[in-house]
Amino acid sequence: MEGTAVLGGLGAAPRLPWRDATIRAIRPETPSAKTLVLDVPGWPGHAAGQHVDVRLTAEDGYQAQRSYSIASRPGSPDLELTVEGIEDGEVSPYLTEDALPGDGFELRGPIGGYFVWDASRDEPVLLVGGGSGLVPLMAMLRHRRATGSTVDARLLLSARAIEDVFYREELEELAADSVDVRITLTRGEAPPGWSGFARRIDRDMLADLGPPPAERPRAYVCGPTPFVEEAARLLVELGHEPARVHTERFGPTGD
Amino acid sequence: MARISRGFRGRRRGAGEPGRLPPGQYITPDFPVLSAGPTPHPPLQGWSFTIGGAVGEGRSWSWEELLALPAEIVTKDIHCVTKWSKFDTTWKGVSVDTLLEGTEPWGEYVVAWCDGGYTTNLPLADVTGGKAWVAYEYDGEPLDPEHGGPARLLVPHLYFWKSAKWVRGLNLTAEDEPGFWENYGYHNYGDPWKEQRYWGD
Amino acid sequence: MEEGSLHTDGNAIGGVLAEVFVAEVTAAGRVCQSCGLDSQIGAHRLYTGAGFVLRCPGCGDLAAVIAALPDRNVISLHGAWSIARTSE
Repeated sequence: MEGTAVLGGLGAAPRLPWRDATIRAIRPETPSAKTLVLDVPGWPGHAAGQHVDVRLTAEDGYQAQRSYSIASRPGSPDLELTVEGIEDGEVSPYLTEDALPGDGFELRGPIGGYFVWDASRDEPVLLVGGGSGLVPLMAMLRHRRATGSTVDARLLLSARAIEDVFYREELEELAADSVDVRITLTRGEAPPGWSGFARRIDRDMLADLGPPPAERPRAYVCGPTPFVEEAARLLVELGHEPARVHTERFGPTGD
Repeated sequence: MARISRGFRGRRRGAGEPGRLPPGQYITPDFPVLSAGPTPHPPLQGWSFTIGGAVGEGRSWSWEELLALPAEIVTKDIHCVTKWSKFDTTWKGVSVDTLLEGTEPWGEYVVAWCDGGYTTNLPLADVTGGKAWVAYEYDGEPLDPEHGGPARLLVPHLYFWKSAKWVRGLNLTAEDEPGFWENYGYHNYGDPWKEQRYWGD
Repeated sequence: MEEGSLHTDGNAIGGVLAEVFVAEVTAAGRVCQSCGLDSQIGAHRLYTGAGFVLRCPGCGDLAAVIAALPDRNVISLHGAWSIARTSE
């Protein structure tokens, strides 16, 4: 039966304790998103696509918890999370506006075995991300690059505007290297000379991106729930196997 | 004790007048949407609300008939078991007392049943005497589907999972019959002032 | 708020499930008791009420109800869940 995969040593970890995490550095990605570089003593390592649960505790004991995808590649010396600040959010405004290097919180992870890609897989990989859904997909692309994998990899990213695209320079490097990177902007005016798409993702865009279903790619779709459901539906409509379309929904806004 | 995140407060607000906020609750400026399943969208054409079960002769109202019943506008504080409370929420609806008028209930308990299959149980005494409504407006507007529209049960003196969304009827029962969350670890009665969140509280 | 946007999926309770099962479960398979669909837990729809409700991605029927209470987890599973043993 499909679906009994547990990653080697990582997935075998039976306990998932809450660990102390301290912010070592903060790197702005966009006007509203930041990458937090974390020190987590005892961090067991992770696979590309996994996430962590982050828990904040206030002085009076009040707690709030949210999940964030790991941005850094497996085996990287630092654990990195890229967090988009959601207006009126409970946790993300603290992480993106208030927290400073030296501050900390607790996290639990790595979590996930379904929305995971490993470079040992040799089928083509198709990545479709909406907004901050790019984060786990980037961990996958970073993993691919670091392992020297030459597997056919294609990325379609949907973002509101060019300013909202995380990791722009790195995406350009990957595009120049060996990854088919396409971006579609869905809101407002595209920048002058824009050669990407400028509309919500649709069937044609996905068909054009490929690879064709006959090549049996493994697809990873991540972002806000409506985006993921639409993209996954389109991929299945195009003929991709549902069991090979892995989805991760962030909810209405992904806070 | 968990590591404190310096300066973290979250979105909660102050506690209001002393004694107004039940123990363990926080005031939220939002109206969080919680549910056990997808939002149903029953056509109002065939919609009905039914009082049945241990009540002698049951009765049923169409949507138009429900809206034609004498309604009340009430302002209440509401308290969710997930710890958020919201003060001064305004609702329009029909009192359950009005719906039970003229019936002869011989069951002492009630199961509220809903589109989507959700159920919750309450003592009849907790939905009568001006304590409960079938509400179809919130804050002066038709009740949003995500918040339970077209109509939800409103029982503000208990934790809000008892205020069943998408309610279609009340079934009176002779025995207490635990509903959805009551079967999964949540307190059978749910008094926020006694912090009755879970079994055994 | 967009209709149909309120749910997430089984990935979001990966941490809770790992606590309950003492194993990674988002990659576990489940055959639905109602429609027979064989799919992974991460692909299931997750609704958050008082507790968590996981539903079949095919027919929407209950797959699991999980109440993560302060001192215990109360769960019910529906359908046939296949959770791999881990080697130690």
